[in-house]
Amino acid sequence: MTPPAQSQTLLLEMKNIVKEYRGVAALKDIDFDLRRGEVHAILGENGAGKSTLVKILSGAVAPSAGEIFLDGQKIQISGPASARRHGIAMVYQETSLVPTLTVAQNLYLGDEKFFNRLRGTYIEAQQLLQSLNFPVDPTVIVQALGTAKRQMVEIARAVRLEAKVIIFDEPTATLTPEEKHHLFALIDRLRKERVSIIFISHALEEALEISDRITILRDGAHIITAEAKTFSRETIIRHMVGRSLTDELYRPAAETRPPRLPGEKVLSVQNLSMQNLVRNTSFSIFAGQITGIFGLVGSGRTETAKIVAGAAKRDLFHGGDIRFDGRSVRYRTPRQAVGDGVVYVTEDRKAEGFFETMSVAENIYIGRISSRESRGIAISMSEMRNLAASWAKTLKLKALNNDAQVIELSGGNQQKVVIAKALVQKPKLIIFDEPTRGVDVGAIAEIHHLISALADEGLAVILISSYLPEILSLSDRILVSRQGRVVEELSPREATSEAVMFAAVY
Amino acid sequence: MNPLRRAMDNWFGRGEASITVPPMDGAFRPNDLLDSAATVLETPEPDCLAETSRGLVVSSGRSLFSVDRPDGAPLASFDTEISALAGLPDGGAAVGMIDGRIAFVGGQNDGGTIASSPEMRCITALAAARGGALLVANGSASNGPLAYKRDLIEKNASGSVWRIEPDAVARRQLAGNLAYPYGLLEEADSLVVSESWRCALTRISPAAGGRNEPVLESLPAYPSRLSRDADNAIWLALFAPRSQLVEFVLSERRYRRRMLSEIDPDYWIAPCLRAGQAPQEPTQQGGVRQLGVLKPWAPTRSYGLAARLDAAYRPITSLHSRANGRRHGVTSCLAIKGRLFFCAKGDGAVASCASEELT
Repeated sequence: MTPPAQSQTLLLEMKNIVKEYRGVAALKDIDFDLRRGEVHAILGENGAGKSTLVKILSGAVAPSAGEIFLDGQKIQISGPASARRHGIAMVYQETSLVPTLTVAQNLYLGDEKFFNRLRGTYIEAQQLLQSLNFPVDPTVIVQALGTAKRQMVEIARAVRLEAKVIIFDEPTATLTPEEKHHLFALIDRLRKERVSIIFISHALEEALEISDRITILRDGAHIITAEAKTFSRETIIRHMVGRSLTDELYRPAAETRPPRLPGEKVLSVQNLSMQNLVRNTSFSIFAGQITGIFGLVGSGRTETAKIVAGAAKRDLFHGGDIRFDGRSVRYRTPRQAVGDGVVYVTEDRKAEGFFETMSVAENIYIGRISSRESRGIAISMSEMRNLAASWAKTLKLKALNNDAQVIELSGGNQQKVVIAKALVQKPKLIIFDEPTRGVDVGAIAEIHHLISALADEGLAVILISSYLPEILSLSDRILVSRQGRVVEELSPREATSEAVMFAAVY
Repeated sequence: MNPLRRAMDNWFGRGEASITVPPMDGAFRPNDLLDSAATVLETPEPDCLAETSRGLVVSSGRSLFSVDRPDGAPLASFDTEISALAGLPDGGAAVGMIDGRIAFVGGQNDGGTIASSPEMRCITALAAARGGALLVANGSASNGPLAYKRDLIEKNASGSVWRIEPDAVARRQLAGNLAYPYGLLEEADSLVVSESWRCALTRISPAAGGRNEPVLESLPAYPSRLSRDADNAIWLALFAPRSQLVEFVLSERRYRRRMLSEIDPDYWIAPCLRAGQAPQEPTQQGGVRQLGVLKPWAPTRSYGLAARLDAAYRPITSLHSRANGRRHGVTSCLAIKGRLFFCAKGDGAVASCASEELT
């Protein structure tokens, strides 16, 4: 998609923006501007300050210093409602919908009429969603939707508010290629209607494809702003991390190393079924190997993994069999699975991965408490401190200290806490579900290295990812899931992007 | 197991009562290697391969044929069907018959016969043992080798393994209560048996009082004969695939009883060496035509599969003839001189491929 020439008129300017948390600068004197009708990508590693910058713009965070101009007028953004009054809307990375309300109720939340007619709301919502080509039923309760569809509702809400500026924070992380295509077409349409878009993504190809200009931040500082066409993937990465990681990341495993040989069969999933999400699926997992599971959103990968790990339940009648270490198992809770050495690292770390108001040390220690080596309810503060210090060092966790709340960490460091929490449980089988979603390139390399090291140590590793290069670069064997079942197995040698995608789609 | 738990599992179809089959993945990942192997001999129902001083020999019906010199003339013929064959250290062959007799062809016992006995009426595999003895797998105490489907449907586990000393008089049972032993492989102080109906390989240790321990379990197909190659790897033939349909039938006692008494065995829902195209076959009747192709709704009851195992009996690789293939019902495979030979009994062919292509 070739971006059309946009107007050179400035719509928004942010000057000398500074944000400090407890004396630590998250943003250092940032200048940022947005033209009318342009798509402006903000890129940077996690912790670079992208989210903080747009949170200031959306009113979620107040700046420590600096000025904001909209249409040449200085404005004060005192909160999200204030931002919305100024025509600034945000589509969050982790959706901000009310899970117990319907899609339509979420779309019109805060704008309800005094005599609210639900049927009318549904009809309006249906029209809005159809105009955007989003296949979402407005009468469905939001918590019944998958992540991708929730994202669509978020986008629809921003469009409905007729915002002048829409901020997309990682909008494509959970979308299928087809949904992504729709989103990009929508963004293009908004651009033609002279809506300005701020686009945050870790998928660099997307930024190059969709944006007119790109701004790169590093460690809270502005590095460069320039026309998108002047960048390549390599130059972006170099600006983002100060070094080239292209060789480190995403080189297909077949080009770099022989696949690890399988050890003992650790897990055998046989004819597993869960409603229409998992349909009679069967596969095996071996020790000392990374088994990558690729599939589009809705292909049943996560649900299968959760059943294995005791976080979801298979069908009551004839739900299939799971054999772990040759023994038929049926975990009712994740703790039972952890007790046997099966650990699941969730794709939704904010909702399921950690307690956000607890400290790094406490979160890691919780993993320890639920492990096989737990000493019941006895808590040792010194063990907690030592454990946190040890894992923070091992995983290169960047936090103010181990007493910092997890919510204060960047996405990459939050993910490292979730992984540390899983690894203290000393698993035999570890399931990584989208381990690098919303994680910066620097942390991606570290997490990849860690996953490989675990397989080298003899653990059975399952890697679930929607990002095909990640699957191809790490996996020793690749399973492709479609419509609730594993439909194909490929060796790294056979697994080209085309072959995997073909199996996933047809 | 707690009887209440067992009853609940039966009701919910879970645990031991779950109707599942292991996946064909990992080392058992499907391919078409059996179909692409070169045919070396076409003969009705080739069953068992053995290496003798006359070269590679295969049993087919009542005769033995040379695989190396396929001129059509049998090396030896008998008055009844052959059910097992083994090469002996002296270059001869031991031939098991469906009536329980064992005959010797070539070697120092050429022309000799061991008479059948009541406890050995279903000889499924033979193997030469140390000290000139012969190991015999007796698949079932109640059914002959031709009635293998009945033995499965009856859910029997009455097979046994015997050792017959060189004098052919002394015979000793090494193990009993086996679920259709169909392959034998002698090791230093034990022997490994393939138990078809348990879909497993079992180690029997005569020195430890006949103690059994599983070596490889949860196979995705029914195993048959075992052999060892020059690299000390093990080749396992698997003659039919497991399917949820058959597992379901096995869990239904009344259905099985009626099927045994009322239906022709050719049309039983049971594994077979070659599933036919006849419309009378129950699993084929519900076929649907899609884009001009008739596709069966039920899984295939026959398949071709041979697997290579390492010295610890872990599967390394496998060769397949898939549902639409023409090398089904592999009952024996043998790797010699850098080539793997196998019998596709269901499709009447002995074929071979280079072993090095498979590793």
